[in-house]
Amino acid sequence: MIPLYEASSQFHNWRFSAQNLDQIRSSLNAAAVGVIRNTFEADQPGSSASISFLNPDEELLLVRLYASKIPQLCGFFRFPEEVEATAVSYLKRFYLKNTVMDWHPKNVMLTALFLATKTTNHPIALDAYANNIPKTTPSDVVDLEFLVAQSLGFEFAVWHAHRALWGIWLDLQSLPDAPPDRATSQRDVYEAALKHVRSSRLSDAELIYTPSQIALAALSIADPELASEWSHSKFPSESASIPHLDNTLAAIRALIEAAANPQDVEVVRAVDLRLKICKNPEKVVGSKAYLAKKAEEERKAEEKRTRKAADAPPTEGDPFGDELAGRLVDYDDDDDD
Amino acid sequence: MAANRMNFLQGKTVRKVVAGGHSRSSSTPQLSSTSTTIYGGGVKDPSGRITEYSSEDDQCPVCKSDKYLEKKLRLLVSSCYHKMCESCIDRLFTLGPAPCPICNKVLRKLAFTPQTFEDLGVEKEIAIRRRIAKEFNKHLEDFPSLREFNDYLEEVEDITFNLINDIDVVGTEARIAKNREANAAIIRENARKEAQYALTLQQTEENERKERELRAEELRREEEEERHARESGKREIIDRLERADGKNASKVIRETRKARAEREAGKKGGPTQGALMRARVAATATVAAKDVPHVPFQDDYYAYQDRYLLQPVYVDPVSEAVRQDREGIMRAGGYKVEEAWERALRFAVAGLDLAPLGDTIDKGGDVIMSTA
Repeated sequence: MIPLYEASSQFHNWRFSAQNLDQIRSSLNAAAVGVIRNTFEADQPGSSASISFLNPDEELLLVRLYASKIPQLCGFFRFPEEVEATAVSYLKRFYLKNTVMDWHPKNVMLTALFLATKTTNHPIALDAYANNIPKTTPSDVVDLEFLVAQSLGFEFAVWHAHRALWGIWLDLQSLPDAPPDRATSQRDVYEAALKHVRSSRLSDAELIYTPSQIALAALSIADPELASEWSHSKFPSESASIPHLDNTLAAIRALIEAAANPQDVEVVRAVDLRLKICKNPEKVVGSKAYLAKKAEEERKAEEKRTRKAADAPPTEGDPFGDELAGRLVDYDDDDDD
Repeated sequence: MAANRMNFLQGKTVRKVVAGGHSRSSSTPQLSSTSTTIYGGGVKDPSGRITEYSSEDDQCPVCKSDKYLEKKLRLLVSSCYHKMCESCIDRLFTLGPAPCPICNKVLRKLAFTPQTFEDLGVEKEIAIRRRIAKEFNKHLEDFPSLREFNDYLEEVEDITFNLINDIDVVGTEARIAKNREANAAIIRENARKEAQYALTLQQTEENERKERELRAEELRREEEEERHARESGKREIIDRLERADGKNASKVIRETRKARAEREAGKKGGPTQGALMRARVAATATVAAKDVPHVPFQDDYYAYQDRYLLQPVYVDPVSEAVRQDREGIMRAGGYKVEEAWERALRFAVAGLDLAPLGDTIDKGGDVIMSTA
């Protein structure tokens, strides 16, 4: 019997260790820098020496900035929490397969949010979506859609921490000595915990820990006693799970508190300015490298077509086979007279 | 034509055939029907009758009489596949076995059969095939592999071909005899099985026929009763109208109809047509119950059922609006707040004790995307 969470794509493909995340990001960054440097050199030798490329942490800063824009957009469109959380997850997952220098997070963020509205069953018309976002056309949103979906491995289902928090809040009412009006009288505790869950979305918490652990950590910031009461009701007191769970919760609490600090916008803006120079020229429409790449792709496609045409078997003759030779068939012998 | 009428009275169908034209037509019995015929001569059509072949240019090869001279001319076929008219057969074979006037093979009177096909070759082939099918009646189940069964079929076809075309008749007969000896038990057993199968088929058919008759009878009786009831109802209305002079006529009619409808509703207790049908289906279902029931795909997941206890109701401000929404404007079809609660509880306990990963898994393969 596989537990449901451990059967999910989130558990299988989107669960990492902290070191693992660093490793992935730096190798992606190194690969992208290598490719872009070569492109610049091919265009104009020696031109790449003066460019300062982004490092993995700076990329992460940008991603986090645009992840924090998603709640604002969701507030404007009145999307439910589900959409917001899903879009943030998509954005973070996308940048574990791609780099900021290839795809600017502003566009990816818009696409991820649009995709999330569809995958969480809160669809909105593309025109209504794009028209309400300044300087955005429908094609900006949908052009990247397949790329985003492909990067996500078409794994659209996400297990969210806010739902786990709701579950914990409901389950608190099942505790043996729970006050009957806890849900209303201690409502501020729930609101505070939900706020922490929201700030956890800007961190890497969901890529490392399970949604229930994040929700419990958020609750333990808001009301440590309530959280430990609930977690002790779930595990027998002498169980080995408790100390290990406490360590996990402490780590998540640290992540949440770090993510709750607002970003220094000036720093991010400086990074964004540098990105304008060092982004992959092959992805900038109209540039020399872009045209060269298009021509190369066209050439490859043409080559493939000709090869395919050459490989195809000759199609002369009757596709239904040759006539049966020497076979006497009495065509008059019909059976219906 | 008088001859036709006579033949019709004798229970035979005579086909008029245009001279020189194709006489093998749709009236030719289907070969498939031969497999169950037991009678050696002639081929039965699906209704079990033998359609005899005859044509206007029939001529007895022995006495040279033809339809023109002898309206009742009927040609029969000998076991050596030569045709003769009935009077010649009477003349030659009444006194016992005698040689065939054409090929000198010794024949008996009883060995003559009616002709079914214009082409006597077909007639012969069918007779041979029928005989071979009795001798070689092994099934796929009697062989260890498909390959051996196919070899067996090949051999059977070989023997059949030899017999039909008179190639090495003696040797082929020897082969048949050898097979008969070697597989006597299996042949007997298979023959018994086939006979039994034919019997069951017959019984099933018979049962179905009886049941159909029963149903028709039932239906007829019901109709009769209904008609009777309608008539008596009409009479009742007229009687009442006669008696109730002062009362409103339409009121009387209404009352009487109502009373009758009530009576009828009370009567509908007995087994109806539908009930009979259902009983029949249930009876056949017991036969079909031997089939293994369809098991839908069942996945083997643990949904944390023992980790939480779903309460019948929660104090839950989050879902208050949905729960108070009586018209279901906010709910899609089938939405139950209990299910949403249960899902949330499941999320709350799912993977709670899962340790985070160490840095063991290498995800380096995913880097490829960035160069795209």
